[in-house]
Amino acid sequence: MKALMEERLFEPFIDATDGVLCLPSGSDAAEIEREAALHGLRFPLVVDESARLCDQVAASPFAPASSRFGPYCDNITGMNWELPDGRRVRVGERVVKSTTGYDLLRFLLGTTGRYGGPVDYVLRLRPACDVVQTFFLRGDLSPLRMAAAEILQTSWIHWFDSMDFLAAQGCGPLLRIAVNCPPGEGDAYMDFLSKMADKHRLSLDHSPGLPLDGCPDLVIKTSPALVLDTALRLAEHPGTKCVALCCCGVVHLFLADPGPEAILLLARPLEKELYAIGGDWSSRHVRTNAPASPEADWILTLRKEWGLP
Amino acid sequence: MTSPAQMAGYASDGLGYKTFPPDAVVIPADADDLARVIAVLKGVPICLRGAGTSLSGGPVAAQGGVVIHTSRLRAIRKICPEGLWCEVECGVNLNRLDQALAPYGLCYPPDPSSGPVCTIGGNVASNAGGAHCFRYGVTGNYVLGVEVVLLDGSVHRFGGPAGGRGRWQEDWKRLMIGSEGTLGAFTRFWLRLTPRAEKAWTFRATYADLASTERAIHGLVRHPAFPVAIELMDPRAVALVESSSMAMGLPKDHFMIVTEIDGPAALVDRRVESVAEVLRSAGSKDVQFGDSPEARKNLFQARKAMGGLLGQISPDYLVQDAVIPKRALAELLQLIYDEADQAGFPAVTVMHAGDGNLHPNFLFDSSKPEELEKVEGISKRLMERVVAVGGTLSGEHGIGNDKSEYMGMVFGPDSLRLQLAIPQIFNPRHVFNPLKVFPERRFAA
Repeated sequence: MKALMEERLFEPFIDATDGVLCLPSGSDAAEIEREAALHGLRFPLVVDESARLCDQVAASPFAPASSRFGPYCDNITGMNWELPDGRRVRVGERVVKSTTGYDLLRFLLGTTGRYGGPVDYVLRLRPACDVVQTFFLRGDLSPLRMAAAEILQTSWIHWFDSMDFLAAQGCGPLLRIAVNCPPGEGDAYMDFLSKMADKHRLSLDHSPGLPLDGCPDLVIKTSPALVLDTALRLAEHPGTKCVALCCCGVVHLFLADPGPEAILLLARPLEKELYAIGGDWSSRHVRTNAPASPEADWILTLRKEWGLP
Repeated sequence: MTSPAQMAGYASDGLGYKTFPPDAVVIPADADDLARVIAVLKGVPICLRGAGTSLSGGPVAAQGGVVIHTSRLRAIRKICPEGLWCEVECGVNLNRLDQALAPYGLCYPPDPSSGPVCTIGGNVASNAGGAHCFRYGVTGNYVLGVEVVLLDGSVHRFGGPAGGRGRWQEDWKRLMIGSEGTLGAFTRFWLRLTPRAEKAWTFRATYADLASTERAIHGLVRHPAFPVAIELMDPRAVALVESSSMAMGLPKDHFMIVTEIDGPAALVDRRVESVAEVLRSAGSKDVQFGDSPEARKNLFQARKAMGGLLGQISPDYLVQDAVIPKRALAELLQLIYDEADQAGFPAVTVMHAGDGNLHPNFLFDSSKPEELEKVEGISKRLMERVVAVGGTLSGEHGIGNDKSEYMGMVFGPDSLRLQLAIPQIFNPRHVFNPLKVFPERRFAA
């Protein structure tokens, strides 16, 4: 079979009917918001108002709103990708569902520069609702844990943008729940959370807006059952703030001193238990080691077949 | 098994009109047995097969060789409610998994219509979808880890209950999901689970014309109730149901939309009227909805009946699986009608309209060689137009050997090179499932 055409690179566009937006990967939250809001849409996986989207994706595969909408790789449907030798290829589609060929889109989105980087993204947008609110459940650790576990088992979890457990030295733990809903539904969310607060003897307050934690320094991927324990252990280290994305089983760490040594000190002791359950850790501040066999051979084959030096 | 009578059922998949008899069929007792079989099979193509319900010519021995049937790897090994995951072997049936999860109040959302028969292994291999994946997503969104036997018999885990990379630097499971049995043999999976919806409502509406139908679809996809399913049947599909024993009084010349919303009762009950209003304001005069299991089943019945009816009234049918930008629906429906009418084939179209996943079904008789040639010509011209309007070849069925010849429409020279590099890593001689996905993937002894 011969390819019938040249590379079909994406051009910038927005399609409000399909809810997809193509724009440079270096766009920031304001640029994305400007395009999407014109059509009553939003891109929910924003963690930092000023960072480029490609830097946010590189910092963590997840954002708090991944609880509702999945990781970045489920919300980026296509991209123009530049290989290290400058060739540009289209990866993925402008439609939101595809099983055409091997899933290079999700594979490449999880890589860290070895095969090049993104030039443009096609983002999947979602309806934007008028009520944008963050609720806080505060109290003792034990009832907070019970409340988090209970909410995770209800179908409400599909309707919260995020449910995050926050832990840091010197601060009481809290459960943070973000909501984006139509005006007529705000009281239903409030009723549910009030009942949850009463049941577990927690306090409930709220503020407008959605949480923007910034790009994490270290990301731990574990299971939802283990995420709170992992966050609590890591938060014992001075200068460490942990945001556990409860539904995703992800801990985002924000460090006062995000140097590679400090990060390795936190991450290395967890490796064995993480790897045993198919978890991992990553940090934008730490270079990865050379791969071991047989992965080294697989990577070598891939680079060779792609014509990369 | 080697006798033709024993192997007759393994020569085709859901596309029954294309047959590829294997030379032998092996049914391993367990994962260790499967790894041993792969390690000892030298010099023959190997095709992994679950229930064989693929609609793309996936699990068939296109170049002969051995079919490995995974029907005995059917254990649900663990359900972890607090971690929201389960561990299953590749031959577990989809509906059986759903029954096992129900007592925990959990579900595994992908729901291809072959659910009563299909296996999780086949679902992962083809990245299967279903009616309810508009909000919930497809199989790949729920695979946390895969265990794979590679060509040399070595067994590797990519991911696991936590759903990350594990000890690997790259997330290899991303390449395994949807790889259609071309990279290795799946033995088990770790799947993400989610709480079952507390309440659901099903709506059905009919429309006299496509413009009204499109207004309803566009209103639904942007509705804050985030419908879980938006299903469309064209008038020819409605007429097919109404001409059968499944008739339920729908107007034969109308389009039909079925949509569902779900969630906590406190939320979904207050959304019912606004969803109904979207359907009414688009032009429907017969919006019906209900929340009882019986009412919901009844409202969805016409859509569910389609697959069985096609098999009853036609010797063969070719179903395509394109995903299109929704603005191109009118153009592509017209192309389907023009082509089918000109060829003299009945064509009925259903669509997962939220995703733009279009399933035209062309009814024909493969015993007449000219009909097969005609229907494949239609299929090719349809796919050319799909790609030209910005769509793609497959949304949930996979490529198999049914659509592999069209891959050159989608991939430019550099992207094609990137794609063809993937099997070079794990299966360079194309021992696993040759001639699938890309026609270049030919087994050479």
